[in-house]
Amino acid sequence: MRRNFFLGLGAFSLIVVLNTAPACAASKEAENFVRIMGERVFSSLGEKGISDEERTKRFKELLPQALDLPRIARFTLGRYWRIATDEEKKEYITLFRKFVIQAYASRFKGLGGKTFKLLHSRDVSATQTLVFSEIIIPKQPSVRVNWRVRFKDEKHRITDIMVEGISMSVTQRDEFVSVIRQTGGKVDGLIRALRKKTSSN
Amino acid sequence: MNVRSKFKGQLAGVLISATCAGMLLASCATAPPPEDKEAVAAFKEANDPYEPLNRAVLDFNLALDKAIVRPVASVYLEIVPEPVQNSVHNFLENLRSPVIFANDLFQGNLDRAGTTLARFALNSTAGILGLFDVATEAGIKKHDEDFGQTLATWEVEPGPYLVLPIFGPSNSRDSVGLITDILIDPFTWFTSNEFRVGRTIGTAVDKRARNFDQINDLEKNSLDFYSAVRSLYRQKRRDQIQNGAPAENTPVPGGLSGLPDGNSGNQQGEAPPTGK
Repeated sequence: MRRNFFLGLGAFSLIVVLNTAPACAASKEAENFVRIMGERVFSSLGEKGISDEERTKRFKELLPQALDLPRIARFTLGRYWRIATDEEKKEYITLFRKFVIQAYASRFKGLGGKTFKLLHSRDVSATQTLVFSEIIIPKQPSVRVNWRVRFKDEKHRITDIMVEGISMSVTQRDEFVSVIRQTGGKVDGLIRALRKKTSSN
Repeated sequence: MNVRSKFKGQLAGVLISATCAGMLLASCATAPPPEDKEAVAAFKEANDPYEPLNRAVLDFNLALDKAIVRPVASVYLEIVPEPVQNSVHNFLENLRSPVIFANDLFQGNLDRAGTTLARFALNSTAGILGLFDVATEAGIKKHDEDFGQTLATWEVEPGPYLVLPIFGPSNSRDSVGLITDILIDPFTWFTSNEFRVGRTIGTAVDKRARNFDQINDLEKNSLDFYSAVRSLYRQKRRDQIQNGAPAENTPVPGGLSGLPDGNSGNQQGEAPPTGK
């Protein structure tokens, strides 16, 4: 009886250990992923003296390795994702990618002279980790940057970046949902606006 | 000018604000038909019943910006050396100390009140009337507070989103906060008219110049500048109210919609992310 008890206890602790150890490692792995991506962003995209075309090219290459773009695209459509048709979803994802490249590539220009510092991380669910970091700017207060990283299909991907508490995904979603609302609640209205925006320059 | 006539001036300002608030009530956004559930949820979430008027005020502010504020800020950035710009900024920030100190106290945060007091004492003396932020260099870090944030910590709801003329994005709670901060600021009462006008203009130019690239970027890269600003304002205020603590229940990619009924606040009740 007593032996059974200890055996049971042993098995139980084994299960606990097996269940929690990967979670702990997951947080560290996500942290590592952000470290690598952050360093690449600073050294490659933030490099001084490269042309805008070169910066955009590098950003395009880095994008699928860093961000879970389909998931972010889905999130930014908010509750309208459910009512969008399959064709609309497909075109929207394509346009969203173009839009992100166009809007964000130039934002990396100002990274020269600044340093990226990883702080710590915390698991927020079984598959998602919040990684905390800051950007240190000489003679100015540092900027808080938090990353939401999702682990799926053996890969880490960023699903949100929060700068000083402002989420890029949420901002984009609020804006897109507002555009849809103004065009009579049709996803097509947003698609047309995105088409226009991404073909203008 | 004696204190009494100054009070009259302040009162006039408050009355003008109240009139503006009255005007707001006159123009309301039409709520979407109740059968369109998606639109109703989006409408509630934006918490912006005065959207048409707000958009008109934003247009007015943008016109003012294009005509005056942006050109002035642009020249300021061009001709004023950076160390001078920094000193102007430090000086203006130091003037905000009494209001920050009062709000630290209102929020019952004695530690932060002490920090604000120490910063003010140090920067006003060793920092030569606030021109140099010696406190930060000594490791006493700056933080901001205002009465809108104080009200939030007292659990006052933000109320509908408002775009104020000149002052820009706000909500009913933060508008009350803005007026209160002006009224409790000793520099409102014990300085000359010229000083106050100069301070107001200086603050506007300093703020615009410091955010020059970001504002241009947002204007260029947004599909709808109005709603982008509205979203940024709501998120920024939430971050300030929580003093930068990461929000646990912010909506994130992963949790889609699911806004609980009756949630009228700006804190969206989206489901936390679930691992799938």
